[in-house]
Amino acid sequence: MRAQQSAPTTTEETAEPPTAARLPLSVQAIYYKPLHRQPQHGLPVCNLMLRSYSVRQLEAQCDFALRAAYYLNMPATGIVSIPKKIRRWTVPRSNFVHKKSQENYERITRKRLIQIMDTNPEVVELWLAFLKKHAVYGVGMKADVWVFEKVGVGKTMNVSLSNLHDLKRPTWAHFGPRKTVETAAMVKDILESEKYKVPESQAPDTMGTMQRIT
Amino acid sequence: MFPTPLLQLSKKHPIGIFINARVLRDQMKREAFAENEQLRQALRYISQNTTLHPRQRAQAQLQLTTMHAHTRSTQFKNRCIVAGKGRGVFRDFRMGRYQFRLNALAGNLPGVKKASW
Repeated sequence: MRAQQSAPTTTEETAEPPTAARLPLSVQAIYYKPLHRQPQHGLPVCNLMLRSYSVRQLEAQCDFALRAAYYLNMPATGIVSIPKKIRRWTVPRSNFVHKKSQENYERITRKRLIQIMDTNPEVVELWLAFLKKHAVYGVGMKADVWVFEKVGVGKTMNVSLSNLHDLKRPTWAHFGPRKTVETAAMVKDILESEKYKVPESQAPDTMGTMQRIT
Repeated sequence: MFPTPLLQLSKKHPIGIFINARVLRDQMKREAFAENEQLRQALRYISQNTTLHPRQRAQAQLQLTTMHAHTRSTQFKNRCIVAGKGRGVFRDFRMGRYQFRLNALAGNLPGVKKASW
C-alpha cells in the first residue's frame, strides 16, 4: 500500500516492481500449516516428546520442529497430542489452622509427540541439535532414537552363553543401588582388619560348611 | 527419651535458605550420613552375607548398632527452604504449604495456577 501511494510522485519510478510481488515460497509457507514429507518405508527412527506448561510455546516449538524436519527431507508424522498430566494441590488459605478455608492449585503439563521416519541417524542428530539450539523457552524435549543395524549383528556383539552366565553371578546378589565399587573395597578392608579376623580353629576351610558359593 | 548427643557441624552451611537450629541440625545429619554412607553399606553387606563367618557377621552388626544415630538416612527431615518448617513440606517445591501458596500466587512456580473445576 505504501508503495502505491508514493508511486505517482516521480515519473522515474514507473519501472519499480509490481506492488503485489509474490513472496518467496519458503517465506509464504510460514503462513500455512507445516508441510510433510511422505515416508517411503515407514520405519520409525526418532520419537520426539515435547512438554510444557504453556500451550503457545509448545505449539510454536512443534511447528518449528516440523518445518525444520521438512527442509531436512525428513518424513515426520504430524503433531500427536498426548493426554495432559494434571497435578493438583490443596492448601489451607492461612498459615495457621483454619482448615475449612482452602484453595486449589494445579499444574497442567501438556505433551506433544513428533515421530520421524526413514532418516539417517546423523541427520536426526543434526535436527535435534538444531532444535535444542533454537528452542523456545519453557519447553522440554525428550527424544527416543532408534538405530537399525545390518543382519547378523549378533555375531559382532561377542555375546556367548558363558558371558551371560557371568552376568548373574551370585556374588553380586547383595549389591543394590547404594552399594558401589568403593563399598566393595571397603568390605575387603574391613574383613582383612584385625577385629574381623576369624580364629584359625574356626576358619572356613577347616569347618567345611562355610565354603563360598561361586 | 534423652536427646541424642550432637555431632560436629562442618564449617560450610546451607547458604541462601532460611536457617534456624532445626535446619542446621538436619544439615548436620545429612553431612554425617554422607560421610559414613560407604562404611554403613559395607557393614550391611557383611552382616547380610550368609556365606561369611557368623562371627564376622555378628561383629558387623555390633559395629552398625554402635554407630551414631545421625549416620542413618532415616533421620532426615525435609524442611521448607523459605521458612524452615518441618511439616506440610512439598517434595516437588521443597516448600511448606503456606510458602507454596504465596509463591504460586506471585507466579514464581512455573505452571502452577489457581485451579477451579
